Amino acid sequence: MAETITPTSSSQLRDAIAWAVADKVPLEIIGQGSKRAYGHTVAASHVLDLSKLTGILFYQPEELVISAHAGTPIAEIAALLADKNQQFQFEPGDFPLLLGDGMTSHSGTLGGLVACNLSGPRRLKSGAARDHVLGFEAISGRAEDFKSGGRVMKNVTGFDLSKLMAGSFGTLAVMHTITLKAMPRPETTRTVIIPCDDVSFAGRAMTLAMGSENEVSGAAWVPASLCSACIHDGAAQEIAASAQNAVALRLEGPEQSVIWRAEALARLLGDIGPNAILPMADSLSLWQAIADVTPMQGNAGILWRLSVPPASGAAVVTALRALVGAGEVDFMLDWAGGLIWVRYVHCDISLASHIREIAGQAGGNATLIRAPEDMRRDFPIFHPVSPEISRINHKISENFDPFGILNPGRMAPLSPGASVLADMKAGA
Amino acid sequence: MPEPDQSVLARRKEIIAAMRAIVPASGAVIAEEDALRPYECDGLMAYRQLPMIVVLPDNTRQVAAILKYCHENKIRVVPRGAGTGLSGGALPMADAITISMMKFNRVLDIDWDNRACVVQPGVTNLGITRAVEHRGFYYAPDPSSQIACSIGGNIAENSGGVHCLKYGLTTNNVLGIEMVTIEGDILRLGGKGLDTPGYDLMGIITGSEGLLGIVTEITVRILRKPETARAMLLGFPDNQSGGDCVAKIIASGIIPGGLEMMDAPAIRATEDFVHAGYPLDVESLLLVELDGPVIEVDHLIDRVGNIAQKCGAVYSRISESEEERALFWSGRKNAFPAIGRISPDYICMDGTIPRGRLSDVLTGMQVFSQRHGLRVANVFHAGDGNLHPLIMFDANQPGELERAEAFGADILKLCVEVGGCLSGEHGIGIEKRDLMPEMFTEDDLKHQERLKLAFDEDQLLNPGKVFPVLHGCGELKTLHARAIAAKFPDIPRF
Repeated sequence: MAETITPTSSSQLRDAIAWAVADKVPLEIIGQGSKRAYGHTVAASHVLDLSKLTGILFYQPEELVISAHAGTPIAEIAALLADKNQQFQFEPGDFPLLLGDGMTSHSGTLGGLVACNLSGPRRLKSGAARDHVLGFEAISGRAEDFKSGGRVMKNVTGFDLSKLMAGSFGTLAVMHTITLKAMPRPETTRTVIIPCDDVSFAGRAMTLAMGSENEVSGAAWVPASLCSACIHDGAAQEIAASAQNAVALRLEGPEQSVIWRAEALARLLGDIGPNAILPMADSLSLWQAIADVTPMQGNAGILWRLSVPPASGAAVVTALRALVGAGEVDFMLDWAGGLIWVRYVHCDISLASHIREIAGQAGGNATLIRAPEDMRRDFPIFHPVSPEISRINHKISENFDPFGILNPGRMAPLSPGASVLADMKAGA
Repeated sequence: MPEPDQSVLARRKEIIAAMRAIVPASGAVIAEEDALRPYECDGLMAYRQLPMIVVLPDNTRQVAAILKYCHENKIRVVPRGAGTGLSGGALPMADAITISMMKFNRVLDIDWDNRACVVQPGVTNLGITRAVEHRGFYYAPDPSSQIACSIGGNIAENSGGVHCLKYGLTTNNVLGIEMVTIEGDILRLGGKGLDTPGYDLMGIITGSEGLLGIVTEITVRILRKPETARAMLLGFPDNQSGGDCVAKIIASGIIPGGLEMMDAPAIRATEDFVHAGYPLDVESLLLVELDGPVIEVDHLIDRVGNIAQKCGAVYSRISESEEERALFWSGRKNAFPAIGRISPDYICMDGTIPRGRLSDVLTGMQVFSQRHGLRVANVFHAGDGNLHPLIMFDANQPGELERAEAFGADILKLCVEVGGCLSGEHGIGIEKRDLMPEMFTEDDLKHQERLKLAFDEDQLLNPGKVFPVLHGCGELKTLHARAIAAKFPDIPRF
């Protein structure tokens, strides 16, 4: 069984990594372990557990800046921000619940959030975690302390290594302190909901809405079950229940403005079909469920996440649907069609290459989120990149973590029997 | 700057011939001294150097061939956009080829449904907005030089502008790029979708000052123009109350489309120049722009007005027409030439600070002003803490340029000391290169250089910029890991 090392300070973290460098010991980096099943299984003999490296270091609401140690629970940070009517604009959902057994809601740490570069429905308007990291401090795979960025909004002082760290899954360095931009919570929110089973119509509605002046901050196509679970307003409930799926379009901001824009949007989309405007409570509940991808939670089926140009979402869904028989696949669209959640009921590895091909042809990519262990082991979880890009990724990895001790294999599977040192970053 | 490589200079004729073979168009390879002169500096005119030659390719294949040749022949390369940069990032080198990207000047595709615009890097920032405004769209980042600066240069410097606080910097508005590595490989990063697998190479190319590759195509996000915008002028008796008002506006949950501040010397100079109607009896002037639906803008103007009143505003005026809004902005946008009218020369600095330290930094600047015997005026992006102190001097007076540079360095060091950074939007280039250790440790810088090595192991792309000392490749690859004798007995484990 892997031995777990649990540093409680950045100096202990550096000592642990220095030991691992000296002894060439591969480490699996975890926080609360809530996203451990995201990406490939790490080939490491030891676990470096950051869940005790916690604490909010400073929070200045008037500066829109918060800094915390990497192991700080997201829930704790979110609660503190909420106290000052602020939030992370990138709206990360409860991702662990997508990953299968043993996960609990509201788990996860700041480090994991940034390392996986998570984001939710507001991604299409406000960016992902990468867009909100102002700076970090870390220990690289050379056991050297380094930092990048800072705590101010505008900063072009040297290379933007924060972008490199966001989404690197802990394969280059272990961040111990992260500073992020916070933003005000909108005063209110409303959602225009349009029953719509035809995905092409749904795509058209979302494209129209996003191209309008109404500053839509969320555009999704969701199953009726989600509407019935979240909508309690009588009239809206009735309208939402009139189809199996519905388009949801979110407006946020000062109350007068939101109401005005919601009505303008409802008029604009009147030709697509009848619609209703959800009150604030229902709207909040619905978008939390969309952020958490509630319809896809649980342990059943193979779950894929496709990122494609938004306007191609409907066509991609049509192509994906054609791969299997009716009733064997579920969809949910977010980011105005740019994010496609696909769940195939039966685990069939032969579908995988078709899914990758469809996503690639649309100018996007496909990530395997949930699958049986043998499939996760044998099939690349992340969409392959070109050989030229792969070569640069490999060099970056070698320069930051020359012995490949940090999360080896997390971003690409190790080939059977290959040495950890030679193979661990091959596809990063 | 690195010493010119004499062996490269000795091969100049051969290199010119090679470039003419790759880029045969008439005038696309410039080698005569008179014709090279316009390329001897960028917007930072204090530093000048004639390039060895200038090449103007007009397609990606040519850029790839040039870089492949340079890589194989170990010839240094300086990428150049419109040349409006203010930190010397495009300063030529005597032994380097300057590659001008200004023939890449076409808008390639406007994808209304995906709200994306594909352009070549030589298209001006404002050119993107001009291409999409007939359908009510625009490109949000708007550096002051937007009429002239190229989007490729914006990528190199991660340019900002007055809309950054609400709409983000260049990095937040770029969806995809095509770039060429020094080895001549063509990479496509990102696209019209939002997330891409692997390391975020597009994110690190943005703001990398031409040290990692040459961008040949860019896909940017375009936004629907807000229904309306109105500007407010708010005057305060001192900088402290002006700064407090900025903090209170943001803490109340309002993120204005623009939030600028000017101190007394800047107010006087700009009012004398453009007659924007700025009050002359205030020490601090805020220019606040609210944009969005009319109903929202009216509501927010009321709220900002109330906040300003509570912060002690002694002057308040709200634009009632587009002409008046433009007039309000004309002062701020002409602040640099206005200072140019009252001083023979000036240096525009560019540091960012936490907004709450504004008063301390302005006080510090007055101390420096006395110490160096030079005047300073301040205009800044108050919403995001990005200062632009304008240090006035006369280059014809012996020693004044050096005093002005020392004054600027003192200001930037103070920015770092209070928790800010050396550059908010102009970049490090040659200008602030030697100040990098004020902000970064040796190990910090080495990790940045290691990223450089992954793209450009021979350090041929734009050398001499950003890093105060270029470490050798071998030195950067050496591992200095500290072996731990005991197996860290103090760390909790189980």
